[in-house]
Amino acid sequence: MERCIPRRTAAAALCMFALVATGIATANNTSPTIRLFPTTVVEDLRQTSSVAQEMETGLQEVIGRLDQQQQLYLESKCDGAEDDAGCQRLAKQIGATYLDMLGIMEERLPDMEHTVNNTRLSLEKRLRSELGNKMTSWTLQETLLGGNPPKDASAPSPSLRGRSGMRLSERFKQYYKLVASSSSNSDQSLAVLASDIYLDMDETSTLIARTREEIARATLIEQLNQSFGTITPEMMEIVGGVKSILFGDETSNVVIAGPPPGSVEQAYRSPLEQ
Amino acid sequence: MRIATLLVACTAFALASCASSPPPCEGPQSRNLSAAVDHVKGALANGCAAHFDRFYDDLLRTAEGDPKPENKRVFSEFLVWSADEGILSQRQAKEYYNRYFNVKFMTLASDYNNCSHTCPRRDRVLLDMERELSDKERGLLRVSQDDTGYYRADRLYKEMELVLEATCTACAAGR
Repeated sequence: MERCIPRRTAAAALCMFALVATGIATANNTSPTIRLFPTTVVEDLRQTSSVAQEMETGLQEVIGRLDQQQQLYLESKCDGAEDDAGCQRLAKQIGATYLDMLGIMEERLPDMEHTVNNTRLSLEKRLRSELGNKMTSWTLQETLLGGNPPKDASAPSPSLRGRSGMRLSERFKQYYKLVASSSSNSDQSLAVLASDIYLDMDETSTLIARTREEIARATLIEQLNQSFGTITPEMMEIVGGVKSILFGDETSNVVIAGPPPGSVEQAYRSPLEQ
Repeated sequence: MRIATLLVACTAFALASCASSPPPCEGPQSRNLSAAVDHVKGALANGCAAHFDRFYDDLLRTAEGDPKPENKRVFSEFLVWSADEGILSQRQAKEYYNRYFNVKFMTLASDYNNCSHTCPRRDRVLLDMERELSDKERGLLRVSQDDTGYYRADRLYKEMELVLEATCTACAAGR
């Protein structure tokens, strides 16, 4: 359940929208670029972004409420005093909020699934055509390297898969910085970002489908629990999972030191170099 | 008497054979790269071309003992000389140079599109890239002190892995 929500979709889609807008502006005054983002993909991304944001906002509110209720439950020393009438009332309130959370997910997920699938299919088509059929592995490599080597090793580079676990807004901010600071954003980062987003959407699509099935089951169980006024460990686990998706996992923010700065003395070019 | 004549003839033949046997093709002993290159050039010019791989490895090891950006030029000039002398083809010379001293991966040389050629053998391509990256670590990082070049190659490998995963998934979905 921890991975049930597309954790990077909102930020990624927003980022791609901004990036593509920049890419289009850039394309006007540079050589022809690979066409990974026609207007249909841009529109799909914009829509995905808006749906994902709606869901994120709705869940944040309900999770905030859950946190407060849980805090109250603990402060009232209800843990271990489940027979107490007041505690039972609190537990039922928590359960009801939990059902609200599941309800929001159930309500938003079909839209999300639809837009994610549209984006995934659009990107899939472009990737297949532009990188799969029109390029060899050598030209793809040259595209990734770009025409000019990066002047600054610390220049922003496209974010790669696996850098999840951070707050969505933070991730979006990073994407935004990347887009904003790369006024000459080239095919190289577009290809990497398109791949990243496509794989993310592909995975997200599968996870949304699974999540929708799970929500039905979790809702039924919680409705039964409402009769008994208990807080199940599963409930807390699910809430924890959703929180870590929305607000990020602290442990994954640890940054490992980068390599030492490279030598700037690289003027020599061999006649054998390809 | 006949036997004695035969023995003498055999001995003479054996001695003649010794005189024309191939040189020992020893590797360079010097810790100085230029001296080592001169030694290897001499050996290669004297019939030891078959030992090129070993010599190249020896030279890399020598250069690792005194890493500096200029080493790239020494290797390039040595390979150009080898091609000029006909010890290597131009293609081989390029392969030897780029595999160790260029960011680009020679493993990715191909004339066919990714969907039809690279994707069906993606695991193999990535494994070969990984091996080449280890040669680049030696050439760029340990011999030439080109940290930037090596780390760019390392990033290129990771980007290629990601882009190929996405592209090949998209290719497979279109079948």
